[in-house]
Amino acid sequence: MTADTSLSLPVRSKKSRWSALRENLLGYAFIFPAFLIIGLFGLFPIGFSVYVSMHRWRITPGRFLGLDNYVKALDNLAYVIFFWIAAIFLYMAIQRLRKVIVQAKEANEGLWIWIIPAVLSTAGIIAFLRFAVLLLPEVLGVADKLRGQERTRELFVSLLGEAWRMPVVQSALRLTLLIFVLAFAALYLINRYLRDGHASMDYYAAITQVVIYVTSGLVLGWYTWAEIVRAYAEALEEGETLAIWAQVTTISAGFLLLLFSWLLWRSASNQDTNRSMIFRLVAASMLAVGAWTLIGELPRVIDAGYADWWNGLRVTVFYSVGTVPFQLGISLMLAVLLFQNIKGKSFFRLIYFLPYITPAVATAAVFRTFFSGRPTAPFNSILGFFGADPLLWLDEPAGIINMLFGTDFGGWLAGPSLALVVVIIFNIWTYIGYDTVIFLAGLGGISNDLYEAAAIDGASSWDQFRHITLPLLSPTTYFLTLLAVIGTFKAFNHIWVLRSAAALGTVDTASLVIFNEFNRNTRYGYASSLAFVLLGVILVLTLVNNKIAEKRVFYG
Amino acid sequence: MDNQVKPKKKVNVNRVIIYTILIFGTVLALVPFLYMISGSLMNLTEATGRAVLPSTPQWSNYREAWTDANFKDYFLNSIIIAAITIAGQVAFCTTAAYAFARMEFPGKKLLFTLLLSTLMIPEAVIWIPNFITVTWLGRVGPIPWINNWPSLTIPFMASAFSIFLLRQFFSQIPNELWDAAQIDGAGHLRFLAQVVLPLARPALLTVILFTFIGSWNALAWPILVTTTPDWRPISYGLSSFLDEAGARIHLQMAGSVITILPIIILYLFVQKQFTEGIATTGLKG
Repeated sequence: MTADTSLSLPVRSKKSRWSALRENLLGYAFIFPAFLIIGLFGLFPIGFSVYVSMHRWRITPGRFLGLDNYVKALDNLAYVIFFWIAAIFLYMAIQRLRKVIVQAKEANEGLWIWIIPAVLSTAGIIAFLRFAVLLLPEVLGVADKLRGQERTRELFVSLLGEAWRMPVVQSALRLTLLIFVLAFAALYLINRYLRDGHASMDYYAAITQVVIYVTSGLVLGWYTWAEIVRAYAEALEEGETLAIWAQVTTISAGFLLLLFSWLLWRSASNQDTNRSMIFRLVAASMLAVGAWTLIGELPRVIDAGYADWWNGLRVTVFYSVGTVPFQLGISLMLAVLLFQNIKGKSFFRLIYFLPYITPAVATAAVFRTFFSGRPTAPFNSILGFFGADPLLWLDEPAGIINMLFGTDFGGWLAGPSLALVVVIIFNIWTYIGYDTVIFLAGLGGISNDLYEAAAIDGASSWDQFRHITLPLLSPTTYFLTLLAVIGTFKAFNHIWVLRSAAALGTVDTASLVIFNEFNRNTRYGYASSLAFVLLGVILVLTLVNNKIAEKRVFYG
Repeated sequence: MDNQVKPKKKVNVNRVIIYTILIFGTVLALVPFLYMISGSLMNLTEATGRAVLPSTPQWSNYREAWTDANFKDYFLNSIIIAAITIAGQVAFCTTAAYAFARMEFPGKKLLFTLLLSTLMIPEAVIWIPNFITVTWLGRVGPIPWINNWPSLTIPFMASAFSIFLLRQFFSQIPNELWDAAQIDGAGHLRFLAQVVLPLARPALLTVILFTFIGSWNALAWPILVTTTPDWRPISYGLSSFLDEAGARIHLQMAGSVITILPIIILYLFVQKQFTEGIATTGLKG
């Protein structure tokens, strides 16, 4: 039975209740296989990865390390970030709470009663996580117990049962079930006897969300604090001194100043001229002080962190910045040209799309030949034709700023290496077709009337492009920007082929660093923590992109 | 000057510029492919020298790459892996997408959000836990997973992307058809198989194509789970061959042509379908 029909029958007969139940079960049966696979290989790994990242884990699981892997990667910046994530959780809780309070007030409905089932549900989730963490190592251990024995079904089942029946596991499971039963009972009773509004389940969901956010924030904040205290205690035993708190406060203060200056700057435009002037001045000075604090503190932290990882992040940033604007600019131009009334439109589209669909390993093989360091390689031959010296291209670790101006900068100032520039060119070449097709679809969605009206008003084609095409295309542009930036953070295949030992890791983006740490150095726990930092970077970029888009993107 | 002539002439100049840019773009897009083909027919001295075209086409390069470099095995492996994955995707994703589009059950919204959240997760985060899981499954189960087909196919038999795409299509099918099917006594499964799937052929084709390309291009995961060439798929095969072949660029190019050929042929056949499928996914994503 579909949604419409069941809604149109408020009084359900016994038969239709049965068929509704049957439909529910059939629905679960339909999604079960897909969820089994996605759950095991898409959702479970996220939690499992957190577990791995908090352990010393080299092929086989080792001892619990807490946040040490993160501190090893980011040095004391890790503590700062964890505190900030905790703060963000609390902030999200307040925001959600405020929204739901307004909603309840408007409907004049009770809200606080839902805190009982919400707290119980959250406790149930925590109890379940505890159960999972207790059971997981036992289940993983089954494989070791099977070693050297004949692998029969019975033996496997009995070993699995043994793990399942462990007293600790069982009591954790019972506790979980008990709490969930209590939560369910509370929910039922409230719904049955105290229910005084139609949106009650929404309130329950919202309050549960709030409780989960608060709990996550508090646990994370407390745990980070405990870890810092532990680090101090350990340092004291070894007679060293630490400056974690000092660093945490300085860096946090720096970021806070940046944040406030941004908020102030934004609110300045709403004020009258004089006050906005003052606001801007204050904001600018806060920005300067904050940035100065960070410039003083961050490099020290970065130096103490994992060099390969920071290098990987720098390469990724160069890669993103070098790729995205060109890729989007060129494909927008091509899309606008193709959108004109020209012959052979589908032919051009067919060709431009080729690089995107062909396997990247094969096309990267051609680029590897093109940009090989051999003097007889195609690009060096072209250089030779113009009388220039051959270049090392993909084997060249030197930054292009240094190469162009003969300077000798290090780090960020050197710019991307020439090898990375080749990778960037490859990336642009590959994705232009894709972006063009999406832009074309976006252009097709703009009504022709607007252009006709503008033409009547005497707007030039540039004006039309600037004031009609660009604003109306902004959702597409936003989507493609996000996709391209995230794409550079995930890039693997072509970099794997194009990287050479001679480039000294100057093309190894964050993904590559994680892969090497995992596959070559077999440091599973450490690599997992790096992967989580990458996930964090991607999430922050998405949020920032959303914030910018909120203001700039024009949805029709 | 005559007013009527001027705008027309201007348009013509514009046309010339537009076509020049478009053709220039075409050349840039095609040059690597042309070089790939031309290089695959050269002999060793030409390939490492400055030659642009082979003096006499060396068709034997293809035979050499196909047999000596194991491209035959890689090719077959990838075909088998793609076929198994596609079968799984068609079976599992269509049913799940149907349930999300046209059935009611408690927790549907939550489950769908959970599903979509996997799209945000970069591959790098799940490499490690999945590798541990797959190793474990192979050690306790009846067949090994490492260096074998299950690790290369089963994790990819359902994807949030495919379910999302199919669901968009399924929910556009008018309710009248379902009412009619019910009168004829058809249940959900029969309605899905006999009415929905034939109607959703374009979406299904897109899913199949994406799955095929996905398994053809897979590199990082196969490097992790195959240590021997037995089940090595083609992209990994080509990438390891690139290192083995060293200076024999003509063979590298022949291997590359072998690798891209099936995709190009497939693309030329279903080209329109393909670009449209991508355009719609892009706009809805």
